[in-house]
Amino acid sequence: MIIYTNEGNPLGLQLLMLAKFAKRPVQVQLVNLNDVKYKDLLALPTLELDSGLRLFSPAAIAKYLLVDEGQLRDEWLEWSATLLAPALAHHMAVGHKADANALPVLNALVKKLDDSLKSSPFLAGDKLSAADIAVWSLLAPDGTLKGAQNVDSLRDWYGRIKALPEVQQVLAEQPLKDLTFNALQQSNRYGGLHHVPLKRLSLADAGKLLVDTTPTVADTVTDEEISAAKAAFTYTAPKEIKEQKTVLPKAGERNVLITSALPYVNNVPHLGNIIGCVLSADIYARYSRSAGYNTLLICGTDEYGTATENKALAENLTPREICDKYFELHNAIYRWFGIGFDYFGRTTTQEQTDIVQEAFKDVLKSGYIITESVEQLLCQKCDRFLADRFVEGTCPHLGCGYEDARGDQCDKCGKLVNATELIRPRCKVCNSAPVLRSSDQLFIDLPKAEPQLKEWVDKSEGGWTHNAKVITRAWLKEGLKPRCITRDLKWGIPVPHEGFEKKVFYVWFDAPFGYVSMTKRYTKEYQQWWQPAKGTDVELFQFMAKDNVPFHSVVWPSVLLAINKGHTLVSHIMATEYLNYEDGKFSKSRGIGVFGNDAQETGIPADVWRFYLASARPEGQDSSFSWNDLAARNNSELLNNLGNFVNRALVFCEKNFNSTVPEVATTQDELVLLALINRELKGYINSLEKAKLRDGIRHLLAISRHGNGYMQTQQPWVLLKGSDDQKKRASTIIALCVNIACLLANLLFPYMPTTARTLFGQLNAKQTPLNAEKPLATLLLPAGHKIGKPAPLFAKLEQSFIDELKGKYGGAQETKAAAQSQPSAADLEQAVQAQADKVRQLKASTKDKAVWQPEVTKLLELKKQLEGAKKTAPNPAPAPAPTSSNGVQSVQDLEKAIQEQGDKVRRLKGSTKDKAVWQPEVNILLDLKKKLEAAQKAAKAGPAAAVPAPSAAPSADAGQVKALEDKIAQQAEKVRTLKASGDASVWKPEVDALLALKNQLTALTGIPAAGSQGKSKKKK
Amino acid sequence: MCDVATVQKIANCLGVNPGKVQLNEEQVVTRTSGQKKSVAGFATILESLASESKSETAQNSKTSREVEAQVYQWIEFSVLYVAPGSKDKYVSKQLLADFNKLFASKSYLVGHFITLADLAVYYAINDLVKSLSPVEKEAYLNLSRWFDHLQNRPDVHQGEPLLNFTTIYLHGWATGTHI
Repeated sequence: MIIYTNEGNPLGLQLLMLAKFAKRPVQVQLVNLNDVKYKDLLALPTLELDSGLRLFSPAAIAKYLLVDEGQLRDEWLEWSATLLAPALAHHMAVGHKADANALPVLNALVKKLDDSLKSSPFLAGDKLSAADIAVWSLLAPDGTLKGAQNVDSLRDWYGRIKALPEVQQVLAEQPLKDLTFNALQQSNRYGGLHHVPLKRLSLADAGKLLVDTTPTVADTVTDEEISAAKAAFTYTAPKEIKEQKTVLPKAGERNVLITSALPYVNNVPHLGNIIGCVLSADIYARYSRSAGYNTLLICGTDEYGTATENKALAENLTPREICDKYFELHNAIYRWFGIGFDYFGRTTTQEQTDIVQEAFKDVLKSGYIITESVEQLLCQKCDRFLADRFVEGTCPHLGCGYEDARGDQCDKCGKLVNATELIRPRCKVCNSAPVLRSSDQLFIDLPKAEPQLKEWVDKSEGGWTHNAKVITRAWLKEGLKPRCITRDLKWGIPVPHEGFEKKVFYVWFDAPFGYVSMTKRYTKEYQQWWQPAKGTDVELFQFMAKDNVPFHSVVWPSVLLAINKGHTLVSHIMATEYLNYEDGKFSKSRGIGVFGNDAQETGIPADVWRFYLASARPEGQDSSFSWNDLAARNNSELLNNLGNFVNRALVFCEKNFNSTVPEVATTQDELVLLALINRELKGYINSLEKAKLRDGIRHLLAISRHGNGYMQTQQPWVLLKGSDDQKKRASTIIALCVNIACLLANLLFPYMPTTARTLFGQLNAKQTPLNAEKPLATLLLPAGHKIGKPAPLFAKLEQSFIDELKGKYGGAQETKAAAQSQPSAADLEQAVQAQADKVRQLKASTKDKAVWQPEVTKLLELKKQLEGAKKTAPNPAPAPAPTSSNGVQSVQDLEKAIQEQGDKVRRLKGSTKDKAVWQPEVNILLDLKKKLEAAQKAAKAGPAAAVPAPSAAPSADAGQVKALEDKIAQQAEKVRTLKASGDASVWKPEVDALLALKNQLTALTGIPAAGSQGKSKKKK
Repeated sequence: MCDVATVQKIANCLGVNPGKVQLNEEQVVTRTSGQKKSVAGFATILESLASESKSETAQNSKTSREVEAQVYQWIEFSVLYVAPGSKDKYVSKQLLADFNKLFASKSYLVGHFITLADLAVYYAINDLVKSLSPVEKEAYLNLSRWFDHLQNRPDVHQGEPLLNFTTIYLHGWATGTHI
């Protein structure tokens, strides 16, 4: 016989056991129902008999394989297949299929089993039967009975069956841990057993028997993790983080050289620039230092070039003065953001000139420079060739003739212009007419360097971000062309070559060498970093936005390869995508977006900006800056999660233990917590090693969430009032929490250095190095350690404040407009109705989707607006959660609140994958559900409140009810007439409308509306 | 159609006194017959009915152990999938498609004769088929053929109005669009 089943299917176990007890040899074949080969299989597992007959019902198979064992057995078999299995499937479901009602139902079923087994050793009497096999095999996977209480008879029975040799043999082939009811979803084409409604049991509440296994991560902790956590959690006096005066690479150690793309000097950096390069580089560098690597972070402003010359002209300053002015601006912004450069330099230094000129000579010597002639406009009066932007004239395009067209583009017709084609060109500076001259320029012969470059890229791109690889590959695929490296400008590094004395290097040739020259400003030993001796490995991490990738992955490496003097080449190109501003672009000219200096003016601490920008870092895809998101993350993650945990831990320690950290005596709970923390710690290290800063934050916050959860379940504030033993427990809990706070301070340091320092101050502790090799939590603060004075770390960002900022920095226009023109919910409802009618008519009259689709789209849009309007409209119903006389919220109100909250959560989950956003809402939902359970129990206890009678719903307004009932009657009439016409697509929407009305009525009165539509009721 | 009504219908069909049929505290259908013997569970009740019946359908349902097993699995299928699944848009579509495919190559669910399997699925799928438009019925032609064949048996329809499948046959002769 063959069993066809899918991976993890718990029912497969039942078939294996049946075959074993029937002594029939069987082989298992794992199949996928989507596989065309198995299209004839209806449900898994399916047993194929030797005759070829296929059976898919385990109960039918049991009856077939084993002899008749009586009616009682058959009843149990059916019970297990139609009641127990669906209930388990509901209970084990996760995500949107999770069903909170499954547990009470399952408890009742388990109670029935236990009761039966009290009076007889096996389900169908004195002997083991197929019924026992069926039920046992359903209870065994997913550990349903784990932790169950008051089911001793059932447990005894379970143990007896498990001990049977046949069962042991089957379990040896099919380990229980591989089975789960979730696998049923792939066992048929109906999505598992979720369509089977849970039977609403009329028998009294069976009480709590099974453990509430809303799957918790704690269950997944393995013994290995526990013992590793236990072994690691010891105290060793921390090594001081060594701070050398000058960091140099060392042989045999990890040496990390980090650069951030050089910002162009006269651009004010906006938030996108900041997170794209400097901030990312800083966070990574801080991590790298605390992991104990020799780390050097270099950056500076890129100052040469046309743009500076232009700006100088506009502001009537010399280029040097412009650079000085803007350099200070950059420096101040980065300092405010807490960017800890080892050296922040500039490209207009003597070192830069020396290094670039020497590099040029080397490239020339190795034969990678070619000379070509290029036609350019020369202003004889100014004695220089004019860059495109320095020429103006009449637009050459037919029919335009705009007189002030620029050398690159005409502002009137918008077409691109070639400077040499301008009619009557004039120099922007002196207004005299330039002449066309051909001028010799130097080119670097990239095609010649291409083979070496390709070889190097193949070898190195493993450590690059995805976009860096893609962009580089695209360049290489297109084939490299010679690139001009000289310009006829004054503001630049002179070209040390005969005949080129009046020319300077084009910025992209000189700027990358800025990394080297700035290092030289930092230390005379700069060559140890850039041309390390044999045996010393330097890893070069370069942070940039994706537009800078080609210069770092193709052009500069080609130059360095051409020089061939053993320069450090980039091993990790860390390129980000773009950060948008509230789903638009940052624009300085339109005043949209937040620029470096604005951030400072908002009064929001730099650390909060750093945290937010890192958690919204455009890793992998573009992301958006949003004020609401900033506030949400500050309030929910920093304030409520991290800040709350740390502060509670420290205040407990201060108030109850005289600011002295007590002894930690770990129990299983502590070890599970540590194991979970170690997982996140490992994730944090792995993420940061790859400079995945966004993921790093996620892991960090998960640790504090675990901490919060631990404190919440252990309730040390209760234990503190208890017996001596309980007080001892409390001290362990607090000591552990304070230690976790200390761990968090260390992990937080790269992201929020100031906050971390404050926290270290409150802990009276120093930063401890991170152990990237062995990321396990250790005891950082031993018993007896005195902590400092705790104080809140974060402040709430109020919505009003955020709205103010939103208005100030743009992005508010559209919200304002929306508010003004927002139609009322009633208007919208009417519009929806009208549009729906139109759609129905169209759909009935034609099958052409192209015709009705636009109308459908309109309808959906209207419906969305309506939903929005309903949400924002003041709720006409009385206060959302009135309390009943005994102070407990009534069941009905809670159910309604749960419904609303559930919708909200679904919407949120639908709109974003970011757990940080929806988790708080989910928590609220869970809390509500808990309250409901309590309320339901209270309702059952008090007979008066047992039935939600109409009179028990004081919120129902008689007039409202009447109006609704009339509406229902009308709608029902409409449905009946329509149904007579027969076409389901016509009357279906109306039926839905009717049902919606009825639901409204039910919500209002608490009694379901009687009606002609209840098919099942009518047929009874 | 609820379990109680279906059990009564099938009992009529088999010419057996249904006895007292009701739901127990677990919402499971039970049958208490003349000898005060109680049976719980839809499939188990159907088996007990068949054992008391001399009708052709009942005899067909127990010609061999293989047939019995197949009949049982379809009864269980009707309880576990057809009845609850008919109320789910997605599941009902899949059910219709699956049965339509099944009936492409056979006239009855098990073997070559009417069995309890057909009856159980017929009553479970009744409401769903009733809700189909003529075009949909045409799309599930094989299922419709099986259904129409069964509903024309007096012991099956038991006086209920028959569903209209006629346009399907018409369509076989003259291709055209339905309303």
